[in-house]
Amino acid sequence: MKRMWKKYVATGLAAVTLLATTACGSSVGAANVPVVPANGDVTIRLSWWGGDARIKATEEAIAGFEKEHPNIHVETEYSDWTGYWDKLAVQSAGGNAPDVMQMDELYLAFYGSMDALLDLNKASDYLDLSTMDPSLKAMGQVDGKQVAAPMTTSQYGVIINNDVLDSLGLTLPDTDTWTWDEFSDFAKQVTEKSGGKTIGAIAPNNGYGLQLWARQHGENLFKGNAVTISPETLASFLQLPADWAKNGIEGNAERWSENTAATLNDTDFGKGKQAMMITQATQITPYAQAAGTDNMTLAPVPQVTPGEKTMYLKPGMYWAVSSGSQHPAEAAMLVDYLVNDKNAGAILGTERGIPANNDIRRMLAKDATGTDRTSLDFMDKIQPTLGNPPSITPNGASELDKIIVRYQQDVVFGKRKALDAAKDMIAELQESIDFAS
Amino acid sequence: MSSFAEFGTLVKNRHKPKDKPKDTKVALGFLAPWLIGAIFLSLIPMLYSLGISFTKYNMIKPPQFVGLMNYRHMLADPRFLNSLTVTLTYVVISVPLQLVAALALAVLLDRGMRGLAFYRSAFYLPSMLGGSVAVAVLWKMVFGSDGLFNAFLGLFGIDTSMSWIANPDTANWTLMALHIWQFGSPMVIFLAGLRQIPRELYEAASVDGAGKWRQFRSITLPMLSPIIFFNLVMSVINSFQTFTQAYVVSGGTGGPSDSTLFYTLYLYQQGFASLRMGYASALAWIMVVIVAVLTGINFALSKFWVHYDD
Repeated sequence: MKRMWKKYVATGLAAVTLLATTACGSSVGAANVPVVPANGDVTIRLSWWGGDARIKATEEAIAGFEKEHPNIHVETEYSDWTGYWDKLAVQSAGGNAPDVMQMDELYLAFYGSMDALLDLNKASDYLDLSTMDPSLKAMGQVDGKQVAAPMTTSQYGVIINNDVLDSLGLTLPDTDTWTWDEFSDFAKQVTEKSGGKTIGAIAPNNGYGLQLWARQHGENLFKGNAVTISPETLASFLQLPADWAKNGIEGNAERWSENTAATLNDTDFGKGKQAMMITQATQITPYAQAAGTDNMTLAPVPQVTPGEKTMYLKPGMYWAVSSGSQHPAEAAMLVDYLVNDKNAGAILGTERGIPANNDIRRMLAKDATGTDRTSLDFMDKIQPTLGNPPSITPNGASELDKIIVRYQQDVVFGKRKALDAAKDMIAELQESIDFAS
Repeated sequence: MSSFAEFGTLVKNRHKPKDKPKDTKVALGFLAPWLIGAIFLSLIPMLYSLGISFTKYNMIKPPQFVGLMNYRHMLADPRFLNSLTVTLTYVVISVPLQLVAALALAVLLDRGMRGLAFYRSAFYLPSMLGGSVAVAVLWKMVFGSDGLFNAFLGLFGIDTSMSWIANPDTANWTLMALHIWQFGSPMVIFLAGLRQIPRELYEAASVDGAGKWRQFRSITLPMLSPIIFFNLVMSVINSFQTFTQAYVVSGGTGGPSDSTLFYTLYLYQQGFASLRMGYASALAWIMVVIVAVLTGINFALSKFWVHYDD
């Protein structure tokens, strides 16, 4: 009996070793398929994250692409934000990544530096990236390779619900050159006048907000693979929600915490119980729909020193092609169609952000109405404050948004002092980046 | 009934000689479907994860051997220690409370009241739902700032717009409440166990003048102790692995302020969000050790209070 068991164990271990070696061998690798169109029918896969409106628009745009290229069939996959990244990681591990994928700035360096993405310059016969701003195009590069095509830009702004202000009898101050002090004075009045039913605003709580905060303080969040923001500047950012909870701008700490975790429709701003929201300008349309009003406008983000060139063209989303794709040429054609085709541009609209292709942006601006128009015009409004783009988020810092919220919560609920939290957060980020590279 | 009876028999007979070899072969044949699944879907992946735990692995690049680095990293990882604290607090508080609730209701329902089947189902219902995503979503709304719980408090004149989910001091308590609410499974097992206690014992006791409380302490509890033990072991293991509720209620973050960062949730974050599969595997193996130790302690202590009627 005893010897039998030994045999079982030995067989088991052998099987495990075999499995381990094969599993290790099959990691992602460039397919190195020549970038030329195939003869005959081809099926490629397209994957993205997003809600119902995006699914409808994208499917419609793809139908147009398939009409133009009858031999290419496009299969679609979609999920929500969190599920998307879990799935993409597993798919990439299995060598089964979609041919064309929607990509975000937070994850670009990770997938780019793993050689998981095709250098789009190799596909330049089928994909034209000259239609966008060079500084924007450059933000799709990792280690000098064009691993993704920015499809939209995203701008931070302050969305203002004028219905709320009207009902409280408040008039907005001059927003063209407003400072954070002016902003918070006004936001405080909203909460005070409404007796706490309506709040003024909630403090920014993601990587984009932090990047702008750093730039306004004459710093950068990252430089290459180093976290370069100073502990003092970061501390002031982490302290912001705590201060605003105390002075009532965001009601109280729990209300802020609840708002940061809620889906758009369940936030105070989405329910028309908040006057101003610092977020992506294009979010104005979904927020207007959620709050059931068209009476929303956009103002620039308050600055420390008004008029400084602290804004930049941030890619909202990218299209990227898997390096393992068996049909890179067709994949590149699909990206080209989604980025540069006028019909596709009209169908996709501003749902993913302001189109990177300047011709399409102007075309949309001409015909747009309501809040769509407001967000397209906003680009021109902030043009004078656009500066040089910063380094993209390095590999290992993809969890930046969640890390920020976690440290802000620690400060808001009094678990740590802001400066200690800032030092710990910088250390955690740097450790994570060093570990990944 | 059968599973814990067998469980008791197994514990009792663990030092007795095994069956004849011929029986073993037949048994293996019947067990084959389960065994194949257990080996290929559980055992091999588990051993593979043990191997991965000594590597640095981001799922895309091949694993790199790093020795004990992942295990050493844990000692310096405050979030790991925090997740242990959060989980242990949850287990230590919610498991006993859940068992007490289950036992109390089982004793009440065992009085042969009318409509027993209905009550049994009604009390069991939360257990069917409790682990689901839908109920976790519901929980989020019930304990939100304008949720049902605050409306309920309002009935007693306590007017609050406190969000119990969004406050780090109370968030874990809402999850414990969710766990305790699912007392149905242990309750049904207790009910079955109560039926097995010979009625003569109670009759004899009442002839001797023992009151209800005395009967409960001196007859029900000792006679039921193997079943209490079974429920305790299973509950501790299960609740240590709580994931869904915390994931849904905190939106996958374990927040606010890491107050609902359960061990499994942290493990998941490290593996699938931070893409540190090696570290996540190491965490998983430490969890295996912890659960084994807890179960071992339970078994060791059982000598002092569990009675098998032999």
